[in-house]
Amino acid sequence: MKRPVEQAITGFAWLSMAMLLFAVFSVIGYLFLKGYPSLDTRLIFGDTAVLDALLLRKQVFNGLFPAAAGTLVLVVMSVVWAIPVGIATGIYLAEYASARVKGVLNLFFDILAGIPSIVIGLFGFALAVFLHKNFSRAIQPCLLISSIALAFLVLPYLIRTTQMALEGLPEDTRLGALALGATKLQNIFYVLLPRSLSGIMSGVILAIGRCAEDTAVIMLTGVVATAGIPKSLFSGYEALPFYIYYISSQYTSPEELLTGYGASIILLAICIVLFSAAFLIKKRLTYIAFYRS
Amino acid sequence: MNDNRIEKTKIRVTGLNFSYGGRLILKDMNESFEESTVTAIVGPSGVGKSTFLMTINRLWENIPQAEMSGKVEIKFDGQFRDIHDRSFSPSRLRRLVGTVFQKPNPLPMSIFRNVAFPLKLAGEKDRELISYKVREALTKAYLWEEVKDRLTHNALALSGGQQQRLCIARSLVMEPEVLLLDEPTSSLDEKAAEVIEDLILHLKERITILAVSHYLDQVKRIADRIVKF
Repeated sequence: MKRPVEQAITGFAWLSMAMLLFAVFSVIGYLFLKGYPSLDTRLIFGDTAVLDALLLRKQVFNGLFPAAAGTLVLVVMSVVWAIPVGIATGIYLAEYASARVKGVLNLFFDILAGIPSIVIGLFGFALAVFLHKNFSRAIQPCLLISSIALAFLVLPYLIRTTQMALEGLPEDTRLGALALGATKLQNIFYVLLPRSLSGIMSGVILAIGRCAEDTAVIMLTGVVATAGIPKSLFSGYEALPFYIYYISSQYTSPEELLTGYGASIILLAICIVLFSAAFLIKKRLTYIAFYRS
Repeated sequence: MNDNRIEKTKIRVTGLNFSYGGRLILKDMNESFEESTVTAIVGPSGVGKSTFLMTINRLWENIPQAEMSGKVEIKFDGQFRDIHDRSFSPSRLRRLVGTVFQKPNPLPMSIFRNVAFPLKLAGEKDRELISYKVREALTKAYLWEEVKDRLTHNALALSGGQQQRLCIARSLVMEPEVLLLDEPTSSLDEKAAEVIEDLILHLKERITILAVSHYLDQVKRIADRIVKF
């Protein structure tokens, strides 16, 4: 009686995979079919010459360039805050924390991972209000506040993947360098972390994606509909996900709605660029750790 | 025990108990090992032979749920020292007590960097000295002739026997006084094993060697003394 059950399970697994592939390709395909016609330099740069816009010589008014620049800066900043803290916390949990401390902290980080992004956004907003009242009238919802709030949002992914990657290393990998006279810290930096880079990377990818798509947090902490390219850490900024949200709820003509699809494609493209950058950095770090002579 | 024996003793183990997760593995062990000899540690699997080696280099401290009591002393510069002494850091101890594991474990880097790795850990910066020591260690481990033209190649591309000799070279580069071998030939074919046995006999002139082994004929060939677990 075992064969039919096994076959059914195999069949179900195949079916699930096929459904997933279908879903992925229909989403991306639909996006491209809809968005492709609107995708040209006018969509991104409006009436401004491309070179002038890229060199920041002229402002772009009716294009997506400021939103794309805003998203890029926002994601990079958030990840730059979150990566050191996340990885360091992951190292602490995997290598230093006692079983009891680990249990308690794991619970806390699970809770943090479960907080809806709108709540994190509200927290960011409250932080801005607090700073505004107590420190400087000049502080308002801005790029800096948004990036800090987003960093909080993605911290659990980085902590968890770092911890899992380190804990998943086999014992002989763990003991090898120690037996050669490595201190605990040397073992972590020369052997364990380089060996965990692939695992940590999956957390970084998740974090980048989450920062790029999140709308709830930035709506409460500083994104605006028109601001031009980000001028300073303390100013409002534009972002692609907010543009997509805004255009799909406020469009006045079918053509305008189509620019929303165009914006989605640009958002995807930015994510791909960031993922590639992350992979290149990982390759470079592995090279530095193991192969540089 | 006569005076001569004491004079030649390198490692002295007294009242050693070892438990893992609450299960007692080694109970009240008393043992001593003489300088410049090969001692074979034999016995069925699971009786704590590898564990015993880990008490000599304090590697057990990195195993969760492991507990040890008792005393292990090793003679360095003519003086017995308690290896658990606070002033004696584990990393310093492990530079004097080299370890080679059952499965060859080169790091995923070049042959040269593998052998130079312990020197880097010890903070050695002098490139010329490093080159010299790497060459010396590879020569001692009977590997220099085979790899001298490809030191920058990935160590993982070497054969199993070569990898194990590389690991021995890596332990030798710190010029240890004691070498712990945990079934060093069990993952190798007969020919590669023979080379390593020959190497062990050669190394014992200067180094005290404890080797866990499963093969009785190997034990007969290399051991000055056999300890049954």
